[in-house]
Amino acid sequence: MRKPFFTPPPSEFAAHAAAPERPAAASGATPVAPKRRRLLAAGSAALAAGSLGLHAPAAVGQAKRFSGVALNVSCWSATYPRLLADYVGEFTEKTGATVNYDTPGLPVYNQRADLELSTKGAGFDVLNITFVYTNRWIGNGWLTPLDPFINDRNKTAPEFDFADFLPGAVQPLRSAKGEIYGIPWVTDSGMAIATRYDLLQANGLAMPDTFDELERAAGIVHKKDGVDGFLTDNHWGFWYPPLLQGYGGNVFRAPPDDLMPTLATPEAIHAADQLARIVGKYGPPGAGGMAYGQTGETLKAARANLSVVTHAGGMSYAEKGNKAAATIRFGLMPRGPKGRFPGIASHGWGIPVGSKNKDAAWAFIQWAQSKELLMRMVKDKGLGSVTRSSIFGTPEYRKLIHVNGVDTGQVVLDTIKLGEQGHMKYRTVPAYPQVNVQLNQAIGRIISGQMSAKESMTQAQASVIADLRRAGVKL
Amino acid sequence: MTVVPAGPAWTDRRDRDLVLGLAPALVVLALLTVTPGVYLVLTSLTPLNLAVPGSEWDFSQPLGNYAGMFEDPRFVHSVGVQAQLSIASVVLQLLIGLGVALLLHPNTPIRQLARSWMLVPMVLPPIVVGITWLALFTVDISPIHRFLAWMGLPMPPLLTNPSTALWAIVFAGTWQHFPFTMLMALAALQMVPESPIEAARIDGANRWQIFRHVRLPFIAPTLAVAGLFVLIDSVKAFPLIFIMTDGGPGEVTEVTNFYVYRQAFTFSLWGYGSAIAVLMMAGVFALSWVIDRITTPNDGRWS
Repeated sequence: MRKPFFTPPPSEFAAHAAAPERPAAASGATPVAPKRRRLLAAGSAALAAGSLGLHAPAAVGQAKRFSGVALNVSCWSATYPRLLADYVGEFTEKTGATVNYDTPGLPVYNQRADLELSTKGAGFDVLNITFVYTNRWIGNGWLTPLDPFINDRNKTAPEFDFADFLPGAVQPLRSAKGEIYGIPWVTDSGMAIATRYDLLQANGLAMPDTFDELERAAGIVHKKDGVDGFLTDNHWGFWYPPLLQGYGGNVFRAPPDDLMPTLATPEAIHAADQLARIVGKYGPPGAGGMAYGQTGETLKAARANLSVVTHAGGMSYAEKGNKAAATIRFGLMPRGPKGRFPGIASHGWGIPVGSKNKDAAWAFIQWAQSKELLMRMVKDKGLGSVTRSSIFGTPEYRKLIHVNGVDTGQVVLDTIKLGEQGHMKYRTVPAYPQVNVQLNQAIGRIISGQMSAKESMTQAQASVIADLRRAGVKL
Repeated sequence: MTVVPAGPAWTDRRDRDLVLGLAPALVVLALLTVTPGVYLVLTSLTPLNLAVPGSEWDFSQPLGNYAGMFEDPRFVHSVGVQAQLSIASVVLQLLIGLGVALLLHPNTPIRQLARSWMLVPMVLPPIVVGITWLALFTVDISPIHRFLAWMGLPMPPLLTNPSTALWAIVFAGTWQHFPFTMLMALAALQMVPESPIEAARIDGANRWQIFRHVRLPFIAPTLAVAGLFVLIDSVKAFPLIFIMTDGGPGEVTEVTNFYVYRQAFTFSLWGYGSAIAVLMMAGVFALSWVIDRITTPNDGRWS
């Protein structure tokens, strides 16, 4: 048996979480007298409720504060929410609330959540705040501000320690006024990888630090040992802005206040041209149209070498059993002449404004993002994406995310630190979905040879203006 | 036994009873189809944007969406793509469906077995068809691409090439849907009477002449109806495009239906999306009417 390396915080809730309550007969423990058992149950429930931040008097009055409550919780199917499904029963055991929990694919989830939130329905009590929708969902008042919960000592246990969350992870989940609307469970950071770093080394190359170096390196290693030089998924609305900003441009003139798009500037055209060139020249056939799943399989199999990926994506390629595992190397997102602007995407738990079970929903969020549970998930399930600095600091976690001699955790921390430049503001404007589609199409047109970079970006500029006006954005 | 006289009073009573008998079904039909349709039309007259509170009942510019549509180059482009996809789908599915039906028309045990096997693509969920063809069109993993490369005839990726992407979608769609036209044509061929065929044979007509002058006129109305269904189905094209190209590369495969999806579900512009949907619905009704006129004899009876 592996020795537990995490000491739960001194709370009954945490202690219960570490050793879930079981009926004595089932667990084989010594049976206790009914009266004593009732007292113990009431006592432990009171303490558990207290640690969850619930009103103590109410908790003492009944065995489980949320008995009879049914929480509807949904998140898209990423590693953390998938792993969390295995633990949800513990929350029910502790609070009495049953949880209807599902994790559909990202596009399905986004549509469902967007529709539910926009109608201010009560169908869900806890939802993931998808990064691309943060401003839309928060800005339109579709989510519940969490500050009143966080600051209420009756509802939030000290062990929750909100200050422990990385500021860079929380920042995207705040409103323009600074109110908190979500508790982050992942801050996925854009970075560079080489699945066959050995081929770079063999050619005297290090991990590329600039986009020019990336292009040069991709060209040198292209088709070496049958491996294509570069590949990334066709979500250009996420992968193009780091180049655009690196060359001194931006998606909008001054987001989030001035949303006039700036996609036909010389910087934008240069960046689009370079990205399309790298993908088109050094990618496998059809690289320009490959979605996340397809590129993931290719990169896992090390059939394409350099890439820009999120940390979670890169870690999944580094898993044992993948051909890339032995030779993959991580590095910071390359920079342009004006700096390094990696894509950073925080996802977090939020409470829809229409939820009828907000207290129970908050209890769920506290539990799902408690230090104790996360540490168990790190230890037992190898959870690689966390947002608590205390967990980042543990040797166990850092060991887990060391890959071929590189501390990818440090790469993540450095990337999140770069987020303090505020360069991700473009991403959180309510109408970004329109811009995202336009960028996807614009880069797609260049890669597929339908248009030059100048023609395509000029068209994108006009189309984005039309789309934003149709969405009611004043330009 | 009482004989009921067949006069005006009797026909009036019959008509009234028919209406009464049909009334419950008509009410249900109205609730299920007409009500959402009316809501769609009403929504199309508003600038409904889920991110803008109060926009759902704003009828201040009822034709704003319709006017904006014709100034939207992407919508106009999507109609062009839709037309290409629809025409290609109808032509290919009719030709292939009819061709296979002619091959499988004679009753032999092998042909009967083949008829059943030919139906498999039609019963597959569109998602499965999309994923299958996505894999078959992905150069790295496709056995078709590998085989052609092995033969010394490497084929470039079809889905990311603007000249071939739409054709790849049409091909996958035809593969999935041709069994429908095949079934319709097969059923019609089975109904062609033997006597005119026999007479044509005695007159010395060859196979082509028998098909052209005897069989085809018999089955033409059925083929027209099958074509109408294929046409309507092509207007609803969505799953294959969603899975295989996401409307790309660029917007080469962005058909009108997919454009509506983007406006409504990705951008939350329900008013604008509804207006396009209403126009699509009107187009389908108009096409249905035109084809109905073409295939209905002048005396008003179906042939």
